[in-house]
Amino acid sequence: MSSQTIALLAPEILLVAAAIGILLGGAFRPAAPVWRAAAWAALVAAAVVLWRQHGCTLADGMVGIDGLSYFLRWLALAVGGALLCIAERPSPSSQQPEYVGALLLAIAGLMLVVCAADMVLLFLALELISIPTYILLYLGRADAPTQEAGAKYFFLSVLASAMFLYGLCFLYGATGTTHIYVGTESLRQLMDAEGIAALTAGGWPMTLLRIGGGLVFAGLGLKIAAVPFHFYAPDVYQGTTNTNAALLSVVPKAAGLLAMLRLLSLAMPLELVWAAQLWRVAAVLAILSMSLANVLALWQDNLRRLLAYSSVAHGGYMLIAVSVAMASGGQSDGWSALAALLVYLAVYAPATIGTFSLLVYLGRNGKAIETIDELAGLGRARPLSAAMLAVLLLSLTGIPPLAGFWGKLAVFGSAVFADVAGQAGAGLWFRMLAVVGVLNAAIAAAYYLRIIGAMYFRAPREEHQPQGPTGSWVAATACVVLVLAAGVYPEPLLRAARQQAAVVHPAVEAAKQQTAFEETLSCPRPRPISVASF
Amino acid sequence: METLLLIAILMPLAGAIAMGRDEQSARWLSLAVTLAVLLCACVLAAAFPIEGPQATKPFAAVRIPWPDASIHPDRPPQSLPPHLALDGLSLWLFALTALLMVVCVAISWRAIDQQVPLYHRLLLILETGMLGVFAAQDVILFYVFFEFTLVPLFFIIGIWGSEQRRWAAIKFFLYTLAGSVLTLLALLAVVLWDYFHGASGRLNFSIPLLAENLQQHPIDPQWQVLIFLGLFAGFAIKVPLFPLHTWLPLAHVQAPAAGSVLLAGVLLKIGTYGFVRFCLPMLPEATTKAMPWMLWLSLAGIIYGALVALAQSDFKRLIAYSSISHMGFCMLGIFALNRLGLQGAVLQMVNHGLSTGGLFAVVGMIYERYHTRHIADLAGLARRTPILAFFAVVLALSSIGLPGLNGFVGELLVLVGMFQRGWAEAPQPYAAQYRVIAVGATLGVVLAAWYMLWMVQQVFFGPLREPKPQHAEHDAAVRDLNVREILALAPLAVVIVWIGLWPQFFLARIAPTLDPYLNPYENISKNVFRAIPDRQHAKHTEQPAEHRQLDLRDCPDSTAALTRQTGAGAIPPVHSSNLQQTD
Repeated sequence: MSSQTIALLAPEILLVAAAIGILLGGAFRPAAPVWRAAAWAALVAAAVVLWRQHGCTLADGMVGIDGLSYFLRWLALAVGGALLCIAERPSPSSQQPEYVGALLLAIAGLMLVVCAADMVLLFLALELISIPTYILLYLGRADAPTQEAGAKYFFLSVLASAMFLYGLCFLYGATGTTHIYVGTESLRQLMDAEGIAALTAGGWPMTLLRIGGGLVFAGLGLKIAAVPFHFYAPDVYQGTTNTNAALLSVVPKAAGLLAMLRLLSLAMPLELVWAAQLWRVAAVLAILSMSLANVLALWQDNLRRLLAYSSVAHGGYMLIAVSVAMASGGQSDGWSALAALLVYLAVYAPATIGTFSLLVYLGRNGKAIETIDELAGLGRARPLSAAMLAVLLLSLTGIPPLAGFWGKLAVFGSAVFADVAGQAGAGLWFRMLAVVGVLNAAIAAAYYLRIIGAMYFRAPREEHQPQGPTGSWVAATACVVLVLAAGVYPEPLLRAARQQAAVVHPAVEAAKQQTAFEETLSCPRPRPISVASF
Repeated sequence: METLLLIAILMPLAGAIAMGRDEQSARWLSLAVTLAVLLCACVLAAAFPIEGPQATKPFAAVRIPWPDASIHPDRPPQSLPPHLALDGLSLWLFALTALLMVVCVAISWRAIDQQVPLYHRLLLILETGMLGVFAAQDVILFYVFFEFTLVPLFFIIGIWGSEQRRWAAIKFFLYTLAGSVLTLLALLAVVLWDYFHGASGRLNFSIPLLAENLQQHPIDPQWQVLIFLGLFAGFAIKVPLFPLHTWLPLAHVQAPAAGSVLLAGVLLKIGTYGFVRFCLPMLPEATTKAMPWMLWLSLAGIIYGALVALAQSDFKRLIAYSSISHMGFCMLGIFALNRLGLQGAVLQMVNHGLSTGGLFAVVGMIYERYHTRHIADLAGLARRTPILAFFAVVLALSSIGLPGLNGFVGELLVLVGMFQRGWAEAPQPYAAQYRVIAVGATLGVVLAAWYMLWMVQQVFFGPLREPKPQHAEHDAAVRDLNVREILALAPLAVVIVWIGLWPQFFLARIAPTLDPYLNPYENISKNVFRAIPDRQHAKHTEQPAEHRQLDLRDCPDSTAALTRQTGAGAIPPVHSSNLQQTD
């Protein structure tokens, strides 16, 4: 690990250091307002440091930084800022330092996930998201549903980590190294030595890859709440606070999707992805997630349950992009699936976080908005809040000219334009995936419209007097502005995503050119393994 | 002109943003903006070139900051195709939208008394969306406007509608959205084909460029059918084509008057417009294959809509079903796939917007006075409100197709086109079917006269019968139209007579754009599909353009010859002069 690596990881180091400081200091002076200020300072400092890293890439041991990492680190910082805004008054104010510290740790975890080039660091970074999340879930409220939600999330998350780790073991078995990109190279050598036909025909590496890939899908599927691993999401969302639900719907999802992409697409020779049919697993997960979640959401009256299913469905849309990226090697000019995933995450995050923060803002007497009925008549009682909520929900629906439309266009476009001509049947799969996706977008409109209809087409039940913290209003306004701006003028967002998605990991670049591999990676070269060695 | 087009589209949006909280100033601002947009549209229509090479080119072409530029980083923006422009197909629909918006603001003046600023905001946003749909020359931009129109209308129906407004609004939105998402995929598939098979090797979103490229590199037939089905899903629901019409009566009946006017007057046209804009030039083989199906569905819509309209006791339902019938005529004209039919269909889109839009406005005025939509509740209104009765009769006659009014020209062209397809240009195995369809469609005209005249007679003539006033304010205070209402309806009547007496003025601007759309369909009647003279030949030689030019030159002559064969007597003099001029 060189000094350059430390310099490039400075944002994460800053956040973790600040979090530790806040958690330690909070033990002595729990009520001081200084902790929030410290958290803000850390976030801003991290942003400044990150700003100076534009265009930097790095491949050093466990850490690999490329365009994807850069884009998503910015997204993580923005999400952190928004969540810090909303959580102005976590109900018992004495827990403020714990709350803020855990939040910073989770954000740092997300930023590390996207920078990991080694399975061990990847696993640790995912745990750095999970463990603070357990704390956050318990901090929010102190009643039975919260306890249940916290316990449920804890056990399932531990199960997910275990499965993920077990999957990593199999991948290690197949490649002989924990380093993701060195593993790529060893797989490539194996392919060159044995021939792809021999590998496809059977043999241990292929079996290990399949089992490992399946377990990774299962473990990360729990993190991103993809059907059939979604079942905890509605209960947990309903049981926790709106702020935590916002966190859950963005941070673990982004981390899980990115980890999936890194392990199974960017670091896999394309021929092996095809031979192991991993893209097909992602496609099936996408179809199940979208279809089931959207249909189940139609029956929900509780807003957070509804939004939980909605976030599962959005995970499904993003899995389309993951599947296309796996099958097409991630890159194709114009409509890269990686860029589509980045765009979708960047438009989904503000819409979801904005929705939850408005629900926080509209809460009364310390009680959050629970059901759709409570929003009835909001269009008359609170025109501005209702209009903001409508904009965010329409963006989630994907109605132009709001940001959500560009996300959907990019994802469905990447499926339609998937350059998989060499593989029989895959083109049809992806085009079917796009059809299922757009039909689901139409189904999803029904439940978003139900909320909008309740706000505008029904008489107010009682006087709405929002008493939520102003921070939540600030966060919501920022999200609405982002959604509108990115919707009306999407060019900068699309261009940034396209540019950053084109900056692939230096190790991938080197592996592509098959030259100077040792110079790029300062890792020991793995023992080449072959079919015969098993 | 370019700036004018941009101003016309963006001004309503700016007005919506600038609107304050005061009710009266909101109304005036809304009126001022819509009038200014109408002025822009008139100037654009006046400056639209009739003859020469400019007549077939997009007019007032303008580029806006739009994501497609970053796909072509190596080319200067000036060389890229425009995003917004008008041509003969969109010009009159654009102008119609601007005109109907003024009418809508005028008829909503008193009828809307709740949340007035929000209402006018939504109206203006809707206007931007509708104008944008017709002006868009870019696939994605078209789709953005296409779906964007749903949102304001959803709120207009849902907030200011009648009893079942919530259900009507949601059903309208979901039904339309479900179809239009498939349309998006189909449009992307067109772009995809052009990307992989076109000569440029670039992602190309410009509608005229796509149409041109796809004539040189036609899409594979089986893909064409799939893409056609995708486009059909969105556009046929929008039209609405039988049997996808079930959302329409509910939405029309529940919407406030202005919502109905815009829904019938403009939004339905987006469907037929989409068929002409996308299916005809880009999917010639699928269109030819679908032709009998589409014609039968159109006929079913014409007859079904008319029969159901006969059975209605509610004004708005009657006009809503008559809309289905009339839009069937538009579809019939489009899929007759010949010159007269297509011109008639495009003109009929405008006609239907004027007459049905006007009728919904009249119904709104009656509702404002009597708070009833039941035909049986009213009789002899001509005694109480003679001016209203006059306008209602004019609009109804226009809808029926009385000679001298606009409906006659449109329906006649459509029917002549269809008869031509059934007899003179009949493709062999379908000739008998097409003849049945042509005769059946004529029956629709008769039925239209029946239900419309019945309604007019019931409501406006005979002894006076009015519902008992429910509120004191309506007691004996039912007045005839005031100046505002007369000014709202008069322009419609003027244009109706104008089109009826001088269709030439309108057709001359429509025809040059439409003619190239029919090039691939020259030979349907010979039952040999030859969109491109020789597929392989065209692919391997360098001059496919020559074939198209040949086709262009042949086109008017052959049509003229055919019209002579069918008997020039069937064709009104206005039309034959039109042929001469565009030749």
